[in-house]
Amino acid sequence: MVTNEETRAPLFAAVDRRVLVIDDEPNIRRVVKDALRPDVSRVLEARSGSEALSIAAAERPDLIVLDLGLPDMDGIEVCRQLRGWTSAPILVLSARDSETEKTALLDAGADDYVTKPFGPAEFRARVRAQLRRAGMSKVPGGDEPLHVGDLTIDLARRTVTRAGSTVHLTPTEWGLLVAFVKSAGKTITHQQLFRAVWGAAHGDAQQYLRVYVAHLRRKIEPDPYEPKYIVTEPGVGYRFEPEG
Amino acid sequence: MERSRAEPRLSPYGVPQDAPPTDTPHVVVRWIVWLGVLTVITVVMLTLRPQLDKAHVALGFLIVVLGGSAAGGRALGVALAVLAFILFNYLFLTPYYTFIIGDPLDWLVLVAFLTTGVVAAQLLNRAQERAEIARQRAIEVERLAALGSETLNAGRAEDALLAIAEVIRSTIGVDCCEVLVPRGTPPQLTPLTRAGPCSDGAGAPADVTSPWSLAVWVAEKRAVAAERADGTKWIGAGDHSDELLRWPAEDTEIRTLLAPLIVRDRTVGVLRVSNARPFSLDSGREQFLSALSFYAALGVERVQLVAEAERAEAFRQADTLKSALIAGVSHDLRTPLTTIKALAHSLGEAGSPEALAIEEEADRLNRLVADLLDLSRLNAGAMPMRPEINAAEDLVGAALRRVGGAIDPKRIRVTAGRASANGDGNPVLLGQFDFVQSLRALVNLLENADKYSPPDEPIELTVRRVGDRLQFAVADRGPGVEEAEAVRIFEPFYRAPGVPPDAGGAGLGLAIARRLAAEQGGDVEYEARRGGGSVFTLVLPAADSPPNAG
Repeated sequence: MVTNEETRAPLFAAVDRRVLVIDDEPNIRRVVKDALRPDVSRVLEARSGSEALSIAAAERPDLIVLDLGLPDMDGIEVCRQLRGWTSAPILVLSARDSETEKTALLDAGADDYVTKPFGPAEFRARVRAQLRRAGMSKVPGGDEPLHVGDLTIDLARRTVTRAGSTVHLTPTEWGLLVAFVKSAGKTITHQQLFRAVWGAAHGDAQQYLRVYVAHLRRKIEPDPYEPKYIVTEPGVGYRFEPEG
Repeated sequence: MERSRAEPRLSPYGVPQDAPPTDTPHVVVRWIVWLGVLTVITVVMLTLRPQLDKAHVALGFLIVVLGGSAAGGRALGVALAVLAFILFNYLFLTPYYTFIIGDPLDWLVLVAFLTTGVVAAQLLNRAQERAEIARQRAIEVERLAALGSETLNAGRAEDALLAIAEVIRSTIGVDCCEVLVPRGTPPQLTPLTRAGPCSDGAGAPADVTSPWSLAVWVAEKRAVAAERADGTKWIGAGDHSDELLRWPAEDTEIRTLLAPLIVRDRTVGVLRVSNARPFSLDSGREQFLSALSFYAALGVERVQLVAEAERAEAFRQADTLKSALIAGVSHDLRTPLTTIKALAHSLGEAGSPEALAIEEEADRLNRLVADLLDLSRLNAGAMPMRPEINAAEDLVGAALRRVGGAIDPKRIRVTAGRASANGDGNPVLLGQFDFVQSLRALVNLLENADKYSPPDEPIELTVRRVGDRLQFAVADRGPGVEEAEAVRIFEPFYRAPGVPPDAGGAGLGLAIARRLAAEQGGDVEYEARRGGGSVFTLVLPAADSPPNAG
């Protein structure tokens, strides 16, 4: 949980950050704007998919908040078109319970989603994670070891230590960890994770993907019943929390 | 077009008046003609007798015999051979004009002539019969080919069936061919397709009563029946020992013929063939009718299958619509809730205690909406289930995270199946279940336990595998459930007696949890806890580790 103290302190005050909010509901736009105020210097608003695409092309926002159920276009289509030319993080506001829809959005290039109704604190935390991710130019843990809680992950040397002692991972577990670290802070779908580790066709392994993740958690999480690093996004995939 | 081209060649199957080859007047004429030919040849050879050798006479007569057999059949050929034998002996063998044979060698000539004549007549006739059979087969094949192309060309199943009826009608040479199928409640035999002018059935129910009741009998007994020209009935019942249908004999004068349509041992309808003038069935037509009635039965089945597929498609579309509607309602309800919650939160941060209450109520309303949507989805059969292999600890972890905001995490004790720090304590417990829906069920059980248990008592969550089941037992120290109520607590909107109405939720949590578990082959079970309280156990199908885990 992010405390009020943290949310009020601007995170990137010095940087000029622009966020595009795409929603046809004026009240939701207002709520999102309020929540963004501490971290963002300018909020652009779009009421429809087509308007959003032209504003995004003209203004080049640093983050895009996209609500589904736009009057003119399918949200997945908007997401796909944006992803065609911009690498700015896309955060989706989803009102529907459908996990398949969220998965489809993430596969279409969205970076994360927040389910309605959401609290401002939760929303802010997700926005910050995305802005931080976008600010990082290099692969985390690539040049220098990544420290997460009591874990130290060194991608170059292919080693993981936990509180100073080496953790022995199988090749599959190592592959999973690398995939998680590379998309730290981002929700990664089962499909994306699977492709990153196994490539295209390995039907049987896909069935056991969650089992391998459970084994990895047992080795790196202090308590696999309350995972801190590899968080489950039910029905969608996982998110690696670099903060721990 | 195909059919009209084939029409003139159908004469052997045409109506009886159309002169089949064995018609009597033609036979008499042929006999007279060939007896005349024999007489002329005899007279000619008689005038030339001095110049003729016995061999010439024998050859002359043989030509007549062969010609006669070719034109008039076996009987004429044999008759001509015998007559020629007598004439040969009487007129051309010395002594003339007696039946006495002078030279014993002449016996040999005569017997050889007679034998040659009779055998040649027989052989010629057999060859002709074979040729005729081959011709009929060719017509049948052509007919079936036409039928096949027409039924395959017909786009709709009804058109294909009509094409079959049309082929039956023209092949048998009758006015009307109908296919009757049971329809409505109670089922009544009504025409599904109708080829030709079926005057008696079209608009005069009084007239069709008797054939219709006969049709019901045909459908029930799976036997052929016919109405004779004199109004009496013929029925082909009684013999169930073989699968073949019994058809009316060749000489039966039929006005209406009824045959059951059977496919895969199921009666799908009745074929009704009728003609204004009486008709009969020869063996060829009978064979044809039994073959084509099978085609008609397949046609009826196809019509029914198409109708069923259309019905299933309509249901599927209704389901899709229902899901879309539920998703739409979900979106429409949650969007204003988001605004209310967020604005109340901002006000709460500014120090308004009322705003906190608004936010809490918005959360509660959101849970109620979720519950109602889930219940309606479950009732509509629109709840998608994707059972996959999942780790039990993943489900527990996600459930603890989900309830983290509402329940103090320290209150929930996960008491079993906890792994040791280095990971090789106890094996990872696996199950085959839908993660999202199972998560919902487990969260409901935890929230239920939190609601009814005293705040200082921990909630214990025990995970174990028993046989091929995974069990997630949620134990509280609440008031428990009276034995009489133990079944009712899983009913929607049930509320324990004495519990005030605002104790959170609408009484849907347990009902939804149980339904969600049952949808994927599991259950939610209740038992009283020793020392007071309740244990609700979510049971899900277990799964085994992959062959080489890791």
